[in-house]
Amino acid sequence: MTGKLVFAVPSKGRLMEDTTKVLAQHGLTLRKTGHARGYRGSFDELPEIEVAFVSASEIAAQLKSGAVHLGVTGEDLIREQIPDAEARVNFIAALGFGHADVVAAVPDFWIDVRTMADLDAISGPFRRTHRRSLRVATKYLNLTRRFFADRGLTDYRIVESLGATEGTPAAGTADLIVDITSSGETLRANALRILDDGVMLRSQANLVVSQAASWGAATRALEAEVRRRFQG
Amino acid sequence: MSAEPVRQFANLEAQAQRIMGVFTHAGYEAVAPAIIQPAEVFLDAVGEALRARTYVFTDQNGAELCLRPDLTVPTCRLHLARGSQAQLPARYCYNGPAFRFQAAGADLAHPREFRQAGIEAFGAPDAVQAEAETLAIMVDALSAAGLDRKQLHLKFGDLYLMRALLNAVDMPASWRSRLKAKFWRPSAFRAELKRLTGDAASRGSMLPPALIEALAKAAPEDQDAVISAHLEGARLETFGARSIAEITEHARVLMDEARAAPLPAATAALMEAYVAIEVPCREASGKIAAIAASAGIDLARPLERFDARLERFAALGLDLNAATFSGDFGRSLEYYTGFVFAIAAPGLPQLSPVAGGGRYNGLMRLSGSPVDIPAVGAAIHTERLLAAIDGGVS
Repeated sequence: MTGKLVFAVPSKGRLMEDTTKVLAQHGLTLRKTGHARGYRGSFDELPEIEVAFVSASEIAAQLKSGAVHLGVTGEDLIREQIPDAEARVNFIAALGFGHADVVAAVPDFWIDVRTMADLDAISGPFRRTHRRSLRVATKYLNLTRRFFADRGLTDYRIVESLGATEGTPAAGTADLIVDITSSGETLRANALRILDDGVMLRSQANLVVSQAASWGAATRALEAEVRRRFQG
Repeated sequence: MSAEPVRQFANLEAQAQRIMGVFTHAGYEAVAPAIIQPAEVFLDAVGEALRARTYVFTDQNGAELCLRPDLTVPTCRLHLARGSQAQLPARYCYNGPAFRFQAAGADLAHPREFRQAGIEAFGAPDAVQAEAETLAIMVDALSAAGLDRKQLHLKFGDLYLMRALLNAVDMPASWRSRLKAKFWRPSAFRAELKRLTGDAASRGSMLPPALIEALAKAAPEDQDAVISAHLEGARLETFGARSIAEITEHARVLMDEARAAPLPAATAALMEAYVAIEVPCREASGKIAAIAASAGIDLARPLERFDARLERFAALGLDLNAATFSGDFGRSLEYYTGFVFAIAAPGLPQLSPVAGGGRYNGLMRLSGSPVDIPAVGAAIHTERLLAAIDGGVS
């Protein structure tokens, strides 16, 4: 153990750009070290911190395991990957970008289904007619199970979907979906509609602290310094 | 979790022999259902909640399989695989591993691999007798394994009574089936009661007024066409498995519900009072009868059956003095349909009974049977039993 504080930043795309911008606004200028496509970096103002460029979903896993001390990632990924998130990580600051809602959506022509209670009401008749449960396509297995269980909906099956989830009802591989949406445009294009009470989580990028990482006096002092810049 | 020590293995094996000895002596045929089960059939039968705790995997041919999370459904499937013989009454016993993912991490009281020893009776003509025998044999088996009978705490529940109560209360059929389905989730059940006691608007889900009017005017056989015309007018494209006829069917239910008067607050209070019951088992029927009578409901026949069962327990030599009844009990065990019980032993956490079981009349059909087959069964958590005999888990 080097005793360094490791700070994970999304490694590509819009998320990385927005993260870089917001960190700079809070007085942390991000710089990649080594060659331009390297996966390590540092902050000009706090050179003791080691920055790791990691994919956003991997950041949630590393915060959970404690492989990194701090990280920027979507709340949806944290809540999905860490069932007991409150016990394992602390949310320091919502960063104001990467907005996405995790929602339950049904075919728009299901005019008789507007709420989770309606979905529950049709689940029994659906099973009797089709001799199978309603299928829900999603990559958010844990969020879906928790949300549906809280609302007493039990007669359904999850079909794991790792891409193009919104196309599964039309393709016939699922009856409804749980997915992220920012503008709702993709859902509309696929003739899907969010249930009135179907917003499961309003997510955005967050600065998150791992409780599982190995913490010492030096790393705690650096964390306090980062915190101060965001909560100041 | 690390591999079990040799001593633990030897003790579990010896214990299993004593337990299986009791089962086979009582006339239960020893079977070894498959550990690897087809995920589709299995998970449809047990529901998504247990699915979250089931190890599911895909084999080299792309078939979706799972490691059985308990032995009841595998035993149902084994029975059904016997074809025409499946119509005949049968009694099975087993001892073998089951697998469950433990979200909070595995520990001694909640291992991810554990051995279940249990019995299942299918198609028994005398339901009360079959239930009483099941409980008595479980107590015999625990006693043969080394637990003191006098130290066992029996806890009873009865989902049949809850259904009888719901059936006796006046409300739209769709509300009744919704409350029955929600009984498994106490918070959702309470929320549903609250929703149904509100007025039609607060119950939510209204169809467009023009559509309601058109549906109300149309003859039943023309209502599908009304829905179709509405969808066309609103340019709503149809796709997937759900048909217009299914939408019409549910629309009718919604219209009936909208017309129905709210559920009286007294009825909701009655339900809440029932699930709050927690009494010595011999006082249960009196207490339930009193609660029902205060709402003008007569539960004499279901309660007679409940009392007959207690008498049968006593006749089989079970000590009922310390046994309790809970109106709430059975709510976490989704496939049970009637009498349920748990047996707790000293030294184990309250929520970790050493054995449990009950009646699950719907499970055979969910496991693929074309007809209903009454079923009752129970299983022992053998590692917990061994821990209880060794003086409890720390």
